[in-house]
Amino acid sequence: MTQQLAQPAADPWTVDGVQLRSRFLLGTAGYPSPHTLRDAIAAADTQVVTVGLKRATAMPGEGGGDNGFMTIVREALVRQGARLLPNTAGCRTARDAITLAHMAREMYDTAWIKLEVVGDEHTLQPDPAELLVAAHALVRDGFVVWPYCTDDLVTCRRLLDVGCAVLMPWGAPIGSGQGLLNPWALRTLRERLPDATLIVDAGIGAPSHAALAMEMGFDAVLLNSAVAQARDPVRMATAFRHAVEAGRGGWQAGVMARQDFAVASTPVGGQPFLIGEVAR
Amino acid sequence: MKDHTQTAMPPAESGAALITVQLEGAPREVAVGTTLAALMQALGHAPLAMSTAVNGDFVLRGQRDRHVLQAGDVVLFFQPIVGG
Repeated sequence: MTQQLAQPAADPWTVDGVQLRSRFLLGTAGYPSPHTLRDAIAAADTQVVTVGLKRATAMPGEGGGDNGFMTIVREALVRQGARLLPNTAGCRTARDAITLAHMAREMYDTAWIKLEVVGDEHTLQPDPAELLVAAHALVRDGFVVWPYCTDDLVTCRRLLDVGCAVLMPWGAPIGSGQGLLNPWALRTLRERLPDATLIVDAGIGAPSHAALAMEMGFDAVLLNSAVAQARDPVRMATAFRHAVEAGRGGWQAGVMARQDFAVASTPVGGQPFLIGEVAR
Repeated sequence: MKDHTQTAMPPAESGAALITVQLEGAPREVAVGTTLAALMQALGHAPLAMSTAVNGDFVLRGQRDRHVLQAGDVVLFFQPIVGG
């Protein structure tokens, strides 16, 4: 008798009233070619991709273009029905981030903003004070703010208090690929902020890091370099997609409690070949 | 190297008074009364292709033709790029 295997139930999540199926958010920078980026976006099956703005330093037609990357991004979005999440990369003050966010809203026609305000040049660690000021102002101005932040619980609470739609704590410094450096802090965020939408952003280097974040109960992961810098970005995007899905499934299913000692899994009921003998 | 100072100026009447603004980190002369929209047009920047700021303040697309540049203004243009 054949038995129908149960299919996983639909598992959407929501930001700003927008229902999303994919829990894998992908950055678009650093790919070896526009076509690789296009194929990676497709392989990731992502519904949210990040983009940026930069100062135009060249005159039209004199090398100021992007070699067709943005065209590829826009085409991919149309094909996959994905959404853009512009960032404020490069900003060091709340004022700069607020200005850039307004520019991004005009340029990309979206109120979603990945708010980045860096406070340290070596680690590119977010500046919590400037971040909070910028987040408050942008929420007031009608933005849906996705702040890139550290894993500090109190800072995260403050960001939620001013109306951020989600929180995006780092796993490790941007582009470092070190994975989840402080699992305790991330678990604490999940436990103490059970109703918040939490996304691990930055520092993820391997699919196992993404799976671990999802097993912890994070709602999604956002990464860029781990895919873009892989020897085969498209295959890596596929690997991350599976890892995110596996980790999410693990969280939903409930990972077993850790034990300090071995616990036999096969219920043999003693020692089968020592009947009547004294075990040694 | 091309000299943008000579080629990217907004049209100015002969003998019109000039002011200097900072554009892309370099001084540039424009006619008194030049708007941000006129400067963009003179530079060949498509209106929809870039966002603009003057002295660090965002200038909406719809306000560029009313934003008259002043001497010493710092004008910045921003364009879409890939990002993480």
